[in-house]
Amino acid sequence: MTVERTVTIVPEAGLHARPASAFVQAVNDHEAEVSAGRPDDDLVQAASMIAITSLGVGQGDDIKLVADGSDAESVLDELERILTTPEAELDTDDG
Amino acid sequence: MAERTLHGTGATPRSGVGTVVWYGRDISLPDPDDVEVDPETERRRFADAVDTARAELESEREATAERVGEDEAAVFDAHIQFLEDPTIEDAVETMIADGGPAPNAVDAAFGEHIEQFEGMDGRMAERADDLRDVRDRLLRLLTDGERVGLGDLPAGSVVLAERLTPSDTAQLDPERVAGFATVTGGRTSHAAIFARSLALPAVVGIGTDLDTLEDGAEVVVDGDNGTLLVSPDDSERAAAANESGAAVVNDSVKTTDGRHVEVAANIGQPAELEPAAKRGADGVGLYRTEFLFLDRETPPSEDEQYEAIRQALDTFPDGRVVVRTLDIGGDKRIPYLDLPDEENPFLGERGIRRSLAPDSDLFATQLRALLRAAADGAGDLAIMFPLVATIEELDAALDALEAAAGLDDYDADAVDPEVGVMIETPSAAFMADELAARVDFLSIGTNDLTQYVMAADRENERVGDLHDPTHPGVLRAIQQTVTAAHAEDIWVGMCGEMAGDPDLTELLVGLGLDELSMSAVTIPEVKTAVSETSYSSASERGDRAQLAATRSEVHTTLDT
Repeated sequence: MTVERTVTIVPEAGLHARPASAFVQAVNDHEAEVSAGRPDDDLVQAASMIAITSLGVGQGDDIKLVADGSDAESVLDELERILTTPEAELDTDDG
Repeated sequence: MAERTLHGTGATPRSGVGTVVWYGRDISLPDPDDVEVDPETERRRFADAVDTARAELESEREATAERVGEDEAAVFDAHIQFLEDPTIEDAVETMIADGGPAPNAVDAAFGEHIEQFEGMDGRMAERADDLRDVRDRLLRLLTDGERVGLGDLPAGSVVLAERLTPSDTAQLDPERVAGFATVTGGRTSHAAIFARSLALPAVVGIGTDLDTLEDGAEVVVDGDNGTLLVSPDDSERAAAANESGAAVVNDSVKTTDGRHVEVAANIGQPAELEPAAKRGADGVGLYRTEFLFLDRETPPSEDEQYEAIRQALDTFPDGRVVVRTLDIGGDKRIPYLDLPDEENPFLGERGIRRSLAPDSDLFATQLRALLRAAADGAGDLAIMFPLVATIEELDAALDALEAAAGLDDYDADAVDPEVGVMIETPSAAFMADELAARVDFLSIGTNDLTQYVMAADRENERVGDLHDPTHPGVLRAIQQTVTAAHAEDIWVGMCGEMAGDPDLTELLVGLGLDELSMSAVTIPEVKTAVSETSYSSASERGDRAQLAATRSEVHTTLDT
């Protein structure tokens, strides 16, 4: 199953530092293959911290997420939660 | 007067003078044209380095979260993600498949992204530092042993390092090294124990002040005072060079009133055997078998283990060699064994617990090797089980030994090794009477016993004051163990660092210990101290010490 979603980024730091870390962690915790990118650009591997950080997307930017796999919906739900939660309120799983 | 003095913890009561050589500071890559590269081996090395780096990062993360806070620890999560990044992994795999050595592939794969991030502005540039950090960590692991070898230093070198691991010290040639000093570590760190076993001058735990010293500087390593003198003057230099310890005593020793006390050496690797014999060791009181498992890709074969133990038995033809079965876990990690990460490794599956785990056949192999060596070697073998906490564990270990002895590839009649238990857990000390009824000897491992009785991490300098075996709580555990052993007419020894402190020899003889085993450096001092001690008056002193309520009362007893 392939699902697609576009999310506007809320954390002040953009997709960077802690939000990026939480984002990559969430991708790795799921089965689905996820790619991400600016809506009109090529997508990159979302499991790669380097690739995700290199997107350079900031607060207010849109990011397109494509997930393919059995838990595609749930991984996108989790990623959307991370991308729309202000950094200060972001809890890591093992915090 | 020296230009300046750096302070740390003295590891060995010895001084030495020499020229600074930094170890592990600059990473040099192999020249790909000069080395034969097997892609399968390189892939494995890369995977092992990633595993080890992950384990290091996870434990640093834990420590930071505890000491500083969750926010500061988060940087380690990012490092772990960079470490496991599929972009890097793919690039490294491709370069290895094309015939590149693993370190060069890692350097190139990270290099590309470091440049990319450096070209971006603000917070992005910080990521370049993170990547550099992860790259250097991997390169350090991958180039271990390939960088300017520790075995190949100019004579008179003083080695400086962040820390020295067992695989580092295994390469050090004690004939060429004048001493060493490290940024981290305490008295019972691996590096400090190693230094004592070879009588190498050493100061550990100096802190980042050490980083200010450059290669080529002249220093005096003063292990007595725990200092490093930079640019010493002639008199300081001469004082360090002329220092010598007590005279070597080769014969076995007795107290003035005729009580024999065995003085033996703790051995961590074969290179330490000869120096220990030269310093007058009666035998080996603790042979740590972990070294055989370090610095390699697979566990040692039965034959390799046989050879190593045989060598020890032949070095002490008239003595006894107490071999401790494998004690991995805790702070001793062996990547290829792929042991699970534990939240609290010192309270986890280490020592006999690991040996008895159903998924491990290492124990059976080791026991077979030991029995064969005992049949063929010159000296007497004794087998000791580490970290026993229950009678059930001892029974299971004895069953495993019996099963190994049932194999017919050696002459079972020719060998009947003594079997004993290392007393390291409070449970073992409380149960010493039951344990003593089932074995031939007990040996008290005071480093771990102190750590567990006092609940004080032996590597944590902040609780270093608690990690002291002269606290009455530890002395009573020792006394109880000795009494239990003697009630069963078996001998009891001590193989922790406490046994090697000549200032405590009278106390330990007085408490009734039959054997003291230590890093080789202080064997002459301890032998001299034993032969100057009267057992009857030491015994009174021992009685008073174990009735003391505080550590200072214990020390008063020692001084009067």
